Amino acid sequence: MSTAQPHVPDVSIEDRLYTVKYRDAGESHLGVENPDVCADCTTNECTSVCPAAVWTVDPDGDGVPSIAYENCLECGTCRYGCPYDNVEWSYPKTGGGVVFKQG
Amino acid sequence: MSREATTAGGLQRPTLRTETPSYDDAFDAVVVGAGLAGTAAALTMARDGLDVLMLERGPAPGTKNVFGGVLYTPTIRELVDIDGAPLERYVAEKRFSILSSDGDETAISMRPGAWRDEPHNDSYTVLRRRFDEWFAKQAVEAGVTLVTETTVTGLLRDGGAVVGVTTDRPDGEIHAPVVVLAEGANSLVSEGAELKERPERDAVAVSVKEVFKLDRDTIDDRFRLDGDAGAAYQYFGEGAVGEAVGGGFVYTNKRSVSVGVVYRVEDAAAGQTPEATLDAFESHPAVAPLVRGGRRIEYSAHVVPEGGARAMPDLVHDGAVVVGDAAGLVLNSGVHLEGTNMAVESGYHAGKAIAAALADGRSDAEALAAYARDLDQSFVVENLRHYDWFQRTIAADRQFLFEDLPRALASAETEYFKMDRASKDEHTGAARDHLVAAAGGWFGAAKRAWRFRRMLS
Repeated sequence: MSTAQPHVPDVSIEDRLYTVKYRDAGESHLGVENPDVCADCTTNECTSVCPAAVWTVDPDGDGVPSIAYENCLECGTCRYGCPYDNVEWSYPKTGGGVVFKQG
Repeated sequence: MSREATTAGGLQRPTLRTETPSYDDAFDAVVVGAGLAGTAAALTMARDGLDVLMLERGPAPGTKNVFGGVLYTPTIRELVDIDGAPLERYVAEKRFSILSSDGDETAISMRPGAWRDEPHNDSYTVLRRRFDEWFAKQAVEAGVTLVTETTVTGLLRDGGAVVGVTTDRPDGEIHAPVVVLAEGANSLVSEGAELKERPERDAVAVSVKEVFKLDRDTIDDRFRLDGDAGAAYQYFGEGAVGEAVGGGFVYTNKRSVSVGVVYRVEDAAAGQTPEATLDAFESHPAVAPLVRGGRRIEYSAHVVPEGGARAMPDLVHDGAVVVGDAAGLVLNSGVHLEGTNMAVESGYHAGKAIAAALADGRSDAEALAAYARDLDQSFVVENLRHYDWFQRTIAADRQFLFEDLPRALASAETEYFKMDRASKDEHTGAARDHLVAAAGGWFGAAKRAWRFRRMLS
Protein backbone atom coordinates (compact mmCIF):
# COMPACT_ATOMS: atom_id res chain seq x y z
CA MET A 1 0.00 0.00 0.00
CA SER A 2 1.28 3.40 -0.92
CA THR A 3 1.88 6.00 1.73
CA ALA A 4 1.28 8.86 -0.69
CA GLN A 5 -1.49 11.18 0.42
CA PRO A 6 -4.12 12.31 -2.06
CA HIS A 7 -3.22 15.83 -3.13
CA VAL A 8 -6.57 16.76 -4.55
CA PRO A 9 -8.69 18.30 -1.80
CA ASP A 10 -12.15 17.02 -1.05
CA VAL A 11 -14.58 18.50 -3.51
CA SER A 12 -18.35 18.30 -3.43
CA ILE A 13 -20.73 18.06 -6.35
CA GLU A 14 -21.89 21.57 -5.45
CA ASP A 15 -18.30 22.84 -5.84
CA ARG A 16 -18.08 21.18 -9.21
CA LEU A 17 -21.42 22.37 -10.51
CA TYR A 18 -20.57 25.88 -9.33
CA THR A 19 -17.98 26.00 -12.13
CA VAL A 20 -20.66 25.37 -14.75
CA LYS A 21 -22.59 28.14 -16.47
CA TYR A 22 -26.29 27.63 -17.16
CA ARG A 23 -29.16 29.48 -18.75
CA ASP A 24 -32.33 28.45 -17.04
CA ALA A 25 -34.79 27.23 -19.64
CA GLY A 26 -37.59 27.80 -17.13
CA GLU A 27 -38.99 24.30 -17.46
CA SER A 28 -37.61 20.82 -17.06
CA HIS A 29 -36.37 19.03 -20.15
CA LEU A 30 -36.27 15.81 -18.12
CA GLY A 31 -39.00 13.62 -16.75
CA VAL A 32 -40.11 10.04 -16.23
CA GLU A 33 -42.29 8.28 -18.77
CA ASN A 34 -44.22 6.22 -16.26
CA PRO A 35 -44.00 6.96 -12.51
CA ASP A 36 -45.28 3.46 -11.68
CA VAL A 37 -42.10 1.98 -13.16
CA CYS A 38 -40.02 4.16 -10.81
CA ALA A 39 -42.19 3.21 -7.85
CA ASP A 40 -41.40 -0.46 -8.51
CA CYS A 41 -37.70 0.15 -9.23
CA THR A 42 -35.36 -0.76 -6.38
CA THR A 43 -32.02 -0.23 -8.10
CA ASN A 44 -32.34 3.48 -9.01
CA GLU A 45 -29.66 3.46 -11.70
CA CYS A 46 -30.61 7.04 -12.61
CA THR A 47 -29.15 8.23 -9.31
CA SER A 48 -25.85 6.39 -9.71
CA VAL A 49 -25.12 7.13 -13.37
CA CYS A 50 -25.83 10.87 -13.29
CA PRO A 51 -22.65 12.95 -12.87
CA ALA A 52 -24.58 16.04 -11.81
CA ALA A 53 -26.85 14.88 -8.95
CA VAL A 54 -29.94 15.58 -11.04
CA TRP A 55 -31.78 12.44 -9.93
CA THR A 56 -32.50 11.73 -6.27
CA VAL A 57 -34.84 9.21 -4.73
CA ASP A 58 -36.15 9.84 -1.24
CA PRO A 59 -35.83 6.53 0.64
CA ASP A 60 -39.00 7.32 2.58
CA GLY A 61 -40.92 8.54 -0.46
CA ASP A 62 -42.91 6.92 -3.26
CA GLY A 63 -39.80 5.87 -5.20
CA VAL A 64 -40.33 8.41 -7.98
CA PRO A 65 -37.14 10.45 -8.35
CA SER A 66 -37.09 14.18 -7.93
CA ILE A 67 -35.32 15.89 -10.80
CA ALA A 68 -32.99 18.87 -10.35
CA TYR A 69 -32.98 19.63 -14.08
CA GLU A 70 -31.11 22.94 -13.48
CA ASN A 71 -27.98 20.88 -12.64
CA CYS A 72 -28.12 18.88 -15.87
CA LEU A 73 -24.92 18.76 -17.95
CA GLU A 74 -26.94 17.32 -20.86
CA CYS A 75 -24.64 14.32 -21.12
CA GLY A 76 -27.49 11.90 -21.74
CA THR A 77 -26.19 9.16 -19.44
CA CYS A 78 -29.52 8.74 -17.61
CA ARG A 79 -31.22 7.80 -20.88
CA TYR A 80 -28.94 4.78 -21.14
CA GLY A 81 -28.60 4.12 -17.43
CA CYS A 82 -32.28 3.43 -16.83
CA PRO A 83 -32.84 -0.27 -17.61
CA TYR A 84 -36.55 0.37 -18.21
CA ASP A 85 -36.01 3.11 -20.80
CA ASN A 86 -38.20 5.26 -18.55
CA VAL A 87 -36.31 8.54 -18.81
CA GLU A 88 -38.03 11.31 -20.74
CA TRP A 89 -35.38 13.51 -22.30
CA SER A 90 -35.75 16.45 -24.65
CA TYR A 91 -33.27 19.15 -25.59
CA PRO A 92 -33.82 22.33 -23.52
CA LYS A 93 -35.56 24.96 -25.61
CA THR A 94 -34.21 28.12 -27.26
CA GLY A 95 -30.65 28.14 -26.04
CA GLY A 96 -31.49 27.06 -22.48
CA GLY A 97 -29.51 24.68 -20.33
CA VAL A 98 -25.80 24.21 -19.89
CA VAL A 99 -23.40 26.64 -21.61
CA PHE A 100 -19.90 25.20 -21.63
CA LYS A 101 -17.10 27.76 -21.61
CA GLN A 102 -14.29 25.24 -22.11
CA GLY A 103 -15.68 21.92 -23.33
CA MET B 1 -35.42 37.40 -32.23
CA SER B 2 -37.28 40.67 -32.19
CA ARG B 3 -40.40 41.53 -30.31
CA GLU B 4 -42.75 43.61 -32.38
CA ALA B 5 -46.11 45.01 -31.45
CA THR B 6 -48.69 44.77 -34.15
CA THR B 7 -51.46 47.30 -33.89
CA ALA B 8 -54.31 46.08 -36.00
CA GLY B 9 -57.85 47.15 -35.30
CA GLY B 10 -56.79 48.58 -31.95
CA LEU B 11 -55.63 45.14 -30.81
CA GLN B 12 -52.09 45.03 -29.42
CA ARG B 13 -50.62 41.64 -30.05
CA PRO B 14 -46.92 41.17 -29.30
CA THR B 15 -45.52 38.30 -31.33
CA LEU B 16 -42.13 36.66 -31.47
CA ARG B 17 -40.68 36.47 -34.92
CA THR B 18 -37.37 35.46 -36.38
CA GLU B 19 -35.52 38.43 -37.82
CA THR B 20 -35.34 36.84 -41.24
CA PRO B 21 -38.81 36.41 -42.72
CA SER B 22 -38.71 32.65 -43.18
CA TYR B 23 -36.19 29.90 -43.62
CA ASP B 24 -38.82 27.54 -44.97
CA ASP B 25 -37.90 26.18 -48.41
CA ALA B 26 -35.06 28.70 -48.65
CA PHE B 27 -32.14 26.27 -48.39
CA ASP B 28 -30.75 23.24 -50.16
CA ALA B 29 -29.81 21.57 -46.90
CA VAL B 30 -30.41 21.94 -43.18
CA VAL B 31 -27.65 20.81 -40.81
CA VAL B 32 -28.72 19.88 -37.29
CA GLY B 33 -25.90 20.79 -34.92
CA ALA B 34 -22.86 23.05 -35.37
CA GLY B 35 -20.26 20.66 -34.00
CA LEU B 36 -17.33 19.27 -35.95
CA ALA B 37 -19.30 16.90 -38.19
CA GLY B 38 -22.08 19.39 -38.91
CA THR B 39 -19.73 22.25 -39.62
CA ALA B 40 -17.56 20.09 -41.89
CA ALA B 41 -20.66 19.07 -43.83
CA ALA B 42 -22.01 22.62 -44.03
CA LEU B 43 -18.67 24.03 -45.13
CA THR B 44 -18.22 21.37 -47.79
CA MET B 45 -21.70 21.96 -49.22
CA ALA B 46 -21.30 25.75 -49.20
CA ARG B 47 -18.02 25.43 -51.07
CA ASP B 48 -19.88 23.34 -53.66
CA GLY B 49 -22.34 26.18 -54.14
CA LEU B 50 -25.26 25.02 -51.99
CA ASP B 51 -27.35 27.26 -49.75
CA VAL B 52 -26.93 25.75 -46.30
CA LEU B 53 -28.71 26.46 -43.02
CA MET B 54 -26.95 25.21 -39.88
CA LEU B 55 -29.01 25.08 -36.69
CA GLU B 56 -27.40 25.04 -33.25
CA ARG B 57 -29.40 24.66 -30.06
CA GLY B 58 -26.82 26.37 -27.84
CA PRO B 59 -26.21 30.12 -27.64
CA ALA B 60 -23.05 29.60 -29.75
CA PRO B 61 -21.35 26.65 -31.46
CA GLY B 62 -19.39 24.64 -28.91
CA THR B 63 -21.52 25.53 -25.89
CA LYS B 64 -22.99 22.03 -25.72
CA ASN B 65 -19.90 20.13 -26.80
CA VAL B 66 -17.50 18.14 -24.66
CA PHE B 67 -14.66 15.81 -25.55
CA GLY B 68 -11.49 14.52 -23.93
CA GLY B 69 -9.04 16.87 -25.42
CA VAL B 70 -7.19 15.97 -28.63
CA LEU B 71 -8.31 17.18 -32.04
CA TYR B 72 -6.89 15.29 -35.02
CA THR B 73 -6.64 17.62 -38.00
CA PRO B 74 -5.72 15.81 -41.24
CA THR B 75 -9.10 16.52 -42.85
CA ILE B 76 -9.84 19.86 -41.15
CA ARG B 77 -6.54 21.14 -42.49
CA GLU B 78 -7.73 20.36 -46.02
CA LEU B 79 -10.95 22.30 -45.42
CA VAL B 80 -9.69 25.40 -43.62
CA ASP B 81 -6.46 27.20 -42.84
CA ILE B 82 -5.87 26.15 -39.23
CA ASP B 83 -3.05 28.63 -38.68
CA GLY B 84 -5.56 31.02 -37.18
CA ALA B 85 -7.42 28.34 -35.23
CA PRO B 86 -7.59 28.44 -31.43
CA LEU B 87 -5.37 25.39 -30.94
CA GLU B 88 -3.99 24.91 -27.43
CA ARG B 89 -0.83 22.82 -27.82
CA TYR B 90 0.45 20.22 -30.27
CA VAL B 91 0.89 16.72 -28.87
CA ALA B 92 4.63 16.30 -28.34
CA GLU B 93 4.31 13.40 -25.93
CA LYS B 94 2.01 10.42 -25.66
CA ARG B 95 2.17 8.52 -22.43
CA PHE B 96 0.36 5.27 -21.60
CA SER B 97 0.14 4.42 -17.97
CA ILE B 98 -1.22 1.53 -15.93
CA LEU B 99 -2.37 2.37 -12.41
CA SER B 100 -3.18 -0.06 -9.63
CA SER B 101 -5.47 0.90 -6.80
CA ASP B 102 -2.50 0.54 -4.44
CA GLY B 103 -0.82 3.62 -5.89
CA ASP B 104 1.46 1.77 -8.35
CA GLU B 105 2.18 3.21 -11.77
CA THR B 106 3.89 1.64 -14.78
CA ALA B 107 4.15 3.88 -17.83
CA ILE B 108 5.60 4.10 -21.28
CA SER B 109 6.22 7.53 -22.76
CA MET B 110 7.06 8.51 -26.32
CA ARG B 111 8.30 11.80 -27.73
CA PRO B 112 9.34 11.22 -31.34
CA GLY B 113 11.29 14.18 -32.64
CA ALA B 114 9.09 14.18 -35.75
CA TRP B 115 6.09 15.30 -33.70
CA ARG B 116 7.88 18.57 -32.96
CA ASP B 117 7.85 19.44 -36.66
CA GLU B 118 4.83 20.91 -38.42
CA PRO B 119 2.13 19.80 -38.85
CA HIS B 120 2.85 17.98 -35.56
CA ASN B 121 1.30 14.70 -36.65
CA ASP B 122 -2.03 16.58 -36.94
CA SER B 123 -2.65 16.20 -33.20
CA TYR B 124 -3.55 19.22 -31.05
CA THR B 125 -5.23 19.74 -27.72
CA VAL B 126 -8.14 22.16 -28.02
CA LEU B 127 -11.06 23.39 -25.95
CA ARG B 128 -14.24 22.78 -27.87
CA ARG B 129 -16.06 25.99 -26.99
CA ARG B 130 -13.36 28.06 -28.65
CA PHE B 131 -12.51 25.69 -31.46
CA ASP B 132 -16.05 24.84 -32.57
CA GLU B 133 -17.03 28.49 -32.57
CA TRP B 134 -14.04 29.31 -34.76
CA PHE B 135 -14.68 26.38 -37.10
CA ALA B 136 -18.35 27.36 -37.52
CA LYS B 137 -17.21 30.90 -38.29
CA GLN B 138 -15.18 29.53 -41.20
CA ALA B 139 -18.36 27.89 -42.50
CA VAL B 140 -20.27 31.16 -42.17
CA GLU B 141 -17.54 32.93 -44.11
CA ALA B 142 -17.98 30.30 -46.82
CA GLY B 143 -21.65 31.27 -47.06
CA VAL B 144 -23.39 29.04 -44.51
CA THR B 145 -26.30 30.60 -42.59
CA LEU B 146 -25.87 29.81 -38.90
CA VAL B 147 -28.81 30.17 -36.52
CA THR B 148 -28.18 29.55 -32.83
CA GLU B 149 -30.56 29.05 -29.89
CA THR B 150 -32.75 27.00 -32.14
CA THR B 151 -33.56 23.44 -31.17
CA VAL B 152 -34.62 20.95 -33.78
CA THR B 153 -37.51 19.01 -32.26
CA GLY B 154 -38.27 16.54 -35.04
CA LEU B 155 -38.20 15.76 -38.72
CA LEU B 156 -40.80 16.56 -41.36
CA ARG B 157 -41.88 13.64 -43.52
CA ASP B 158 -43.53 13.28 -46.85
CA GLY B 159 -44.36 9.64 -47.28
CA GLY B 160 -41.24 7.95 -45.97
CA ALA B 161 -38.87 10.70 -47.01
CA VAL B 162 -37.42 13.34 -44.72
CA VAL B 163 -38.33 16.75 -46.13
CA GLY B 164 -37.21 19.13 -43.39
CA VAL B 165 -37.17 19.81 -39.66
CA THR B 166 -39.43 21.18 -36.97
CA THR B 167 -37.88 23.62 -34.50
CA ASP B 168 -38.88 25.27 -31.26
CA ARG B 169 -39.22 28.64 -33.02
CA PRO B 170 -42.62 30.14 -33.82
CA ASP B 171 -43.61 28.91 -37.28
CA GLY B 172 -40.53 26.78 -36.94
CA GLU B 173 -41.08 24.29 -39.76
CA ILE B 174 -38.24 24.36 -42.25
CA HIS B 175 -38.57 22.35 -45.43
CA ALA B 176 -35.37 21.50 -47.32
CA PRO B 177 -34.33 18.76 -49.76
CA VAL B 178 -31.74 17.26 -47.39
CA VAL B 179 -31.27 17.17 -43.61
CA VAL B 180 -27.85 16.40 -42.10
CA LEU B 181 -28.18 14.94 -38.60
CA ALA B 182 -25.09 16.06 -36.75
CA GLU B 183 -26.72 16.28 -33.34
CA GLY B 184 -24.10 14.37 -31.39
CA ALA B 185 -24.05 11.26 -29.23
CA ASN B 186 -27.33 12.01 -27.48
CA SER B 187 -29.18 11.81 -30.78
CA LEU B 188 -32.80 12.46 -29.85
CA VAL B 189 -33.96 13.64 -33.27
CA SER B 190 -32.51 10.69 -35.20
CA GLU B 191 -33.91 8.23 -32.66
CA GLY B 192 -37.26 9.97 -32.44
CA ALA B 193 -37.56 9.80 -36.23
CA GLU B 194 -36.48 6.14 -36.19
CA LEU B 195 -33.42 6.76 -38.33
CA LYS B 196 -31.46 4.90 -35.68
CA GLU B 197 -32.15 2.81 -32.63
CA ARG B 198 -31.10 3.87 -29.19
CA PRO B 199 -27.71 2.21 -28.59
CA GLU B 200 -27.56 -0.53 -25.99
CA ARG B 201 -26.31 0.42 -22.55
CA ASP B 202 -23.14 -1.64 -22.84
CA ALA B 203 -22.21 0.16 -26.07
CA VAL B 204 -22.18 3.60 -24.47
CA ALA B 205 -19.62 5.12 -22.12
CA VAL B 206 -19.95 8.07 -19.75
CA SER B 207 -17.17 10.60 -19.49
CA VAL B 208 -16.68 13.20 -16.79
CA LYS B 209 -14.00 15.81 -17.10
CA GLU B 210 -12.61 18.76 -15.21
CA VAL B 211 -10.48 21.61 -16.47
CA PHE B 212 -7.92 22.88 -13.99
CA LYS B 213 -6.43 26.34 -14.40
CA LEU B 214 -2.65 26.43 -13.99
CA ASP B 215 -0.16 28.98 -15.21
CA ARG B 216 1.77 28.24 -18.33
CA ASP B 217 5.18 27.88 -16.67
CA THR B 218 3.81 25.44 -14.12
CA ILE B 219 2.39 23.26 -16.90
CA ASP B 220 5.63 23.49 -18.90
CA ASP B 221 7.73 22.51 -15.87
CA ARG B 222 5.41 19.82 -14.57
CA PHE B 223 5.03 18.07 -17.93
CA ARG B 224 8.53 18.90 -19.26
CA LEU B 225 7.27 21.00 -22.17
CA ASP B 226 8.44 24.06 -24.02
CA GLY B 227 6.88 26.42 -26.54
CA ASP B 228 3.63 25.03 -27.88
CA ALA B 229 4.48 21.44 -26.99
CA GLY B 230 1.80 19.53 -25.09
CA ALA B 231 1.23 16.16 -23.47
CA ALA B 232 -1.46 13.50 -23.88
CA TYR B 233 -1.52 10.99 -21.03
CA GLN B 234 -3.82 7.96 -21.07
CA TYR B 235 -4.40 5.78 -18.02
CA PHE B 236 -5.66 2.24 -17.60
CA GLY B 237 -6.25 -0.08 -14.71
CA GLU B 238 -8.10 -0.17 -11.42
CA GLY B 239 -6.32 2.98 -10.26
CA ALA B 240 -7.79 4.86 -13.23
CA VAL B 241 -11.41 3.68 -13.27
CA GLY B 242 -11.84 1.31 -10.31
CA GLU B 243 -14.02 -1.71 -10.99
CA ALA B 244 -15.13 -0.38 -14.36
CA VAL B 245 -13.95 -0.94 -17.92
CA GLY B 246 -12.48 2.25 -19.29
CA GLY B 247 -9.66 4.68 -18.71
CA GLY B 248 -8.51 8.07 -17.52
CA PHE B 249 -6.82 10.95 -19.30
CA VAL B 250 -4.78 14.08 -18.66
CA TYR B 251 -4.22 16.58 -21.49
CA THR B 252 -2.35 19.86 -21.32
CA ASN B 253 -3.88 23.01 -22.76
CA LYS B 254 -2.01 26.32 -22.88
CA ARG B 255 -3.02 27.50 -19.42
CA SER B 256 -5.12 24.65 -18.16
CA VAL B 257 -5.10 20.89 -17.81
CA SER B 258 -8.03 18.63 -18.79
CA VAL B 259 -8.51 15.62 -16.53
CA GLY B 260 -11.18 12.99 -16.84
CA VAL B 261 -12.39 9.41 -16.89
CA VAL B 262 -14.41 7.43 -19.44
CA TYR B 263 -16.06 4.12 -18.65
CA ARG B 264 -19.11 2.06 -19.53
CA VAL B 265 -22.53 3.30 -18.45
CA GLU B 266 -23.05 -0.34 -17.51
CA ASP B 267 -20.49 0.05 -14.73
CA ALA B 268 -21.98 3.33 -13.53
CA ALA B 269 -25.40 1.68 -13.43
CA ALA B 270 -23.91 -1.07 -11.28
CA GLY B 271 -23.17 1.57 -8.68
CA GLN B 272 -19.79 3.13 -9.44
CA THR B 273 -20.70 6.80 -9.77
CA PRO B 274 -18.93 9.14 -12.21
CA GLU B 275 -18.08 11.58 -9.44
CA ALA B 276 -16.47 8.98 -7.17
CA THR B 277 -14.57 7.55 -10.12
CA LEU B 278 -13.20 10.97 -11.02
CA ASP B 279 -12.33 11.65 -7.36
CA ALA B 280 -10.35 8.42 -7.10
CA PHE B 281 -8.49 9.06 -10.36
CA GLU B 282 -7.60 12.64 -9.39
CA SER B 283 -6.45 11.39 -5.98
CA HIS B 284 -4.15 8.70 -7.34
CA PRO B 285 -0.57 9.48 -6.31
CA ALA B 286 0.50 9.34 -9.98
CA VAL B 287 -2.14 11.87 -11.04
CA ALA B 288 -2.71 14.21 -8.11
CA PRO B 289 0.66 16.02 -8.41
CA LEU B 290 -0.13 16.89 -12.03
CA VAL B 291 -3.11 19.04 -11.04
CA ARG B 292 -1.97 20.15 -7.58
CA GLY B 293 -2.77 23.79 -6.94
CA GLY B 294 -4.97 24.01 -10.03
CA ARG B 295 -8.25 25.83 -9.76
CA ARG B 296 -11.28 24.00 -11.11
CA ILE B 297 -12.74 26.12 -13.88
CA GLU B 298 -15.18 23.70 -15.45
CA TYR B 299 -16.82 20.38 -14.76
CA SER B 300 -18.45 18.63 -17.72
CA ALA B 301 -19.81 15.29 -18.83
CA HIS B 302 -20.86 13.48 -21.97
CA VAL B 303 -21.81 10.09 -23.30
CA VAL B 304 -19.51 8.42 -25.82
CA PRO B 305 -20.77 5.89 -28.37
CA GLU B 306 -18.41 2.93 -28.16
CA GLY B 307 -20.35 0.29 -30.03
CA GLY B 308 -17.92 0.26 -32.94
CA ALA B 309 -18.76 -0.77 -36.50
CA ARG B 310 -21.50 -3.18 -35.44
CA ALA B 311 -23.46 -0.42 -33.71
CA MET B 312 -23.39 2.02 -36.64
CA PRO B 313 -26.88 2.99 -37.81
CA ASP B 314 -27.88 3.32 -41.47
CA LEU B 315 -26.05 6.46 -42.56
CA VAL B 316 -28.27 7.34 -45.49
CA HIS B 317 -32.04 7.78 -45.73
CA ASP B 318 -34.42 9.39 -48.19
CA GLY B 319 -33.68 13.08 -47.62
CA ALA B 320 -31.33 12.65 -44.67
CA VAL B 321 -27.86 11.54 -43.63
CA VAL B 322 -26.39 10.84 -40.18
CA VAL B 323 -22.83 11.98 -39.35
CA GLY B 324 -20.32 12.17 -36.47
CA ASP B 325 -21.18 10.96 -32.96
CA ALA B 326 -24.84 10.57 -33.98
CA ALA B 327 -23.59 7.85 -36.34
CA GLY B 328 -21.50 6.29 -33.57
CA LEU B 329 -18.20 7.25 -35.19
CA VAL B 330 -15.82 6.92 -32.23
CA LEU B 331 -12.77 4.69 -32.08
CA ASN B 332 -11.48 3.30 -28.80
CA SER B 333 -8.81 0.67 -29.29
CA GLY B 334 -7.19 1.30 -25.93
CA VAL B 335 -4.20 2.88 -27.63
CA HIS B 336 -6.15 5.03 -30.11
CA LEU B 337 -8.92 7.29 -28.84
CA GLU B 338 -10.38 9.11 -31.81
CA GLY B 339 -13.61 10.83 -32.74
CA THR B 340 -12.95 14.37 -33.96
CA ASN B 341 -11.18 13.25 -37.11
CA MET B 342 -13.92 10.75 -37.85
CA ALA B 343 -16.62 13.39 -37.33
CA VAL B 344 -14.96 15.77 -39.78
CA GLU B 345 -14.32 13.01 -42.31
CA SER B 346 -17.96 11.92 -42.19
CA GLY B 347 -19.20 15.51 -42.55
CA TYR B 348 -16.93 16.02 -45.52
CA HIS B 349 -18.06 12.86 -47.35
CA ALA B 350 -21.72 13.60 -46.55
CA GLY B 351 -21.37 17.15 -47.88
CA LYS B 352 -19.78 15.93 -51.10
CA ALA B 353 -22.43 13.28 -51.67
CA ILE B 354 -25.29 15.72 -51.02
CA ALA B 355 -23.86 18.27 -53.44
CA ALA B 356 -23.53 15.61 -56.15
CA ALA B 357 -27.05 14.27 -55.54
CA LEU B 358 -28.66 17.72 -55.61
CA ALA B 359 -26.78 18.53 -58.81
CA ASP B 360 -28.77 15.65 -60.32
CA GLY B 361 -31.94 17.02 -58.74
CA ARG B 362 -32.18 14.10 -56.32
CA SER B 363 -32.14 13.61 -52.56
CA ASP B 364 -33.29 10.01 -52.15
CA ALA B 365 -31.25 7.43 -50.27
CA GLU B 366 -29.93 5.87 -53.46
CA ALA B 367 -28.63 9.23 -54.67
CA LEU B 368 -27.02 9.94 -51.29
CA ALA B 369 -25.50 6.46 -50.99
CA ALA B 370 -22.10 7.77 -52.10
CA TYR B 371 -21.69 9.12 -48.56
CA ALA B 372 -22.04 5.69 -46.96
CA ARG B 373 -19.84 4.14 -49.63
CA ASP B 374 -17.08 6.74 -49.34
CA LEU B 375 -17.07 6.57 -45.56
CA ASP B 376 -17.01 2.79 -45.72
CA GLN B 377 -13.87 2.94 -47.83
CA SER B 378 -12.23 5.59 -45.65
CA PHE B 379 -10.07 5.09 -42.56
CA VAL B 380 -13.16 5.81 -40.44
CA VAL B 381 -15.08 2.60 -40.97
CA GLU B 382 -11.97 0.57 -41.74
CA ASN B 383 -10.57 1.38 -38.29
CA LEU B 384 -13.89 0.74 -36.57
CA ARG B 385 -14.07 -2.67 -38.23
CA HIS B 386 -10.47 -3.49 -37.42
CA TYR B 387 -10.92 -2.82 -33.70
CA ASP B 388 -14.46 -4.13 -33.36
CA TRP B 389 -13.21 -6.99 -31.20
CA PHE B 390 -11.51 -4.73 -28.69
CA GLN B 391 -14.26 -3.56 -26.34
CA ARG B 392 -15.69 -7.04 -25.86
CA THR B 393 -12.29 -8.58 -25.34
CA ILE B 394 -11.15 -6.18 -22.65
CA ALA B 395 -14.51 -6.39 -20.91
CA ALA B 396 -14.12 -10.17 -20.81
CA ASP B 397 -10.57 -9.90 -19.46
CA ARG B 398 -11.11 -6.99 -17.08
CA GLN B 399 -9.91 -8.73 -13.92
CA PHE B 400 -6.54 -9.54 -15.48
CA LEU B 401 -6.01 -6.28 -17.38
CA PHE B 402 -7.29 -3.83 -14.78
CA GLU B 403 -6.45 -5.48 -11.46
CA ASP B 404 -3.95 -8.33 -11.71
CA LEU B 405 -1.66 -6.94 -14.39
CA PRO B 406 -1.04 -3.47 -12.83
CA ARG B 407 -0.16 -5.10 -9.49
CA ALA B 408 1.97 -7.82 -11.07
CA LEU B 409 3.92 -5.20 -13.03
CA ALA B 410 4.58 -3.22 -9.87
CA SER B 411 5.65 -6.36 -7.99
CA ALA B 412 7.91 -7.42 -10.85
CA GLU B 413 9.49 -3.95 -11.01
CA THR B 414 10.01 -3.91 -7.26
CA GLU B 415 11.59 -7.34 -7.44
CA TYR B 416 13.72 -6.72 -10.54
CA PHE B 417 15.34 -3.57 -9.15
CA LYS B 418 15.45 -4.71 -5.53
CA MET B 419 18.57 -3.68 -3.62
CA ASP B 420 19.62 -6.39 -1.21
CA ARG B 421 22.34 -9.03 -1.16
CA ALA B 422 20.65 -11.51 -3.49
CA SER B 423 21.93 -11.87 -7.06
CA LYS B 424 20.39 -10.15 -10.09
CA ASP B 425 19.60 -13.61 -11.42
CA GLU B 426 17.43 -14.41 -8.41
CA HIS B 427 15.61 -11.08 -8.70
CA THR B 428 14.99 -11.54 -12.41
CA GLY B 429 13.52 -14.99 -11.79
CA ALA B 430 11.24 -13.70 -9.03
CA ALA B 431 10.14 -10.75 -11.16
CA ARG B 432 9.28 -13.10 -14.02
CA ASP B 433 7.32 -15.32 -11.67
CA HIS B 434 5.06 -12.40 -10.69
CA LEU B 435 4.18 -11.70 -14.31
CA VAL B 436 3.73 -15.29 -15.37
CA ALA B 437 1.55 -16.05 -12.34
CA ALA B 438 -0.69 -13.03 -13.05
CA ALA B 439 -1.05 -14.08 -16.69
CA GLY B 440 -2.11 -17.60 -15.70
CA GLY B 441 1.15 -19.44 -16.28
CA TRP B 442 3.14 -19.63 -19.51
CA PHE B 443 0.18 -21.06 -21.35
CA GLY B 444 -2.14 -18.28 -20.14
CA ALA B 445 0.44 -15.65 -21.04
CA ALA B 446 0.78 -17.02 -24.57
CA LYS B 447 -2.99 -17.15 -24.97
CA ARG B 448 -3.37 -13.54 -23.82
CA ALA B 449 -0.51 -12.34 -26.01
CA TRP B 450 -2.29 -13.93 -28.97
CA ARG B 451 -5.65 -12.46 -28.03
CA PHE B 452 -4.30 -8.92 -27.76
CA ARG B 453 -1.81 -9.09 -30.64
CA ARG B 454 -4.16 -7.01 -32.79
CA MET B 455 -3.90 -4.06 -30.44
CA LEU B 456 -0.63 -3.11 -32.04
CA SER B 457 -1.27 -4.46 -35.52
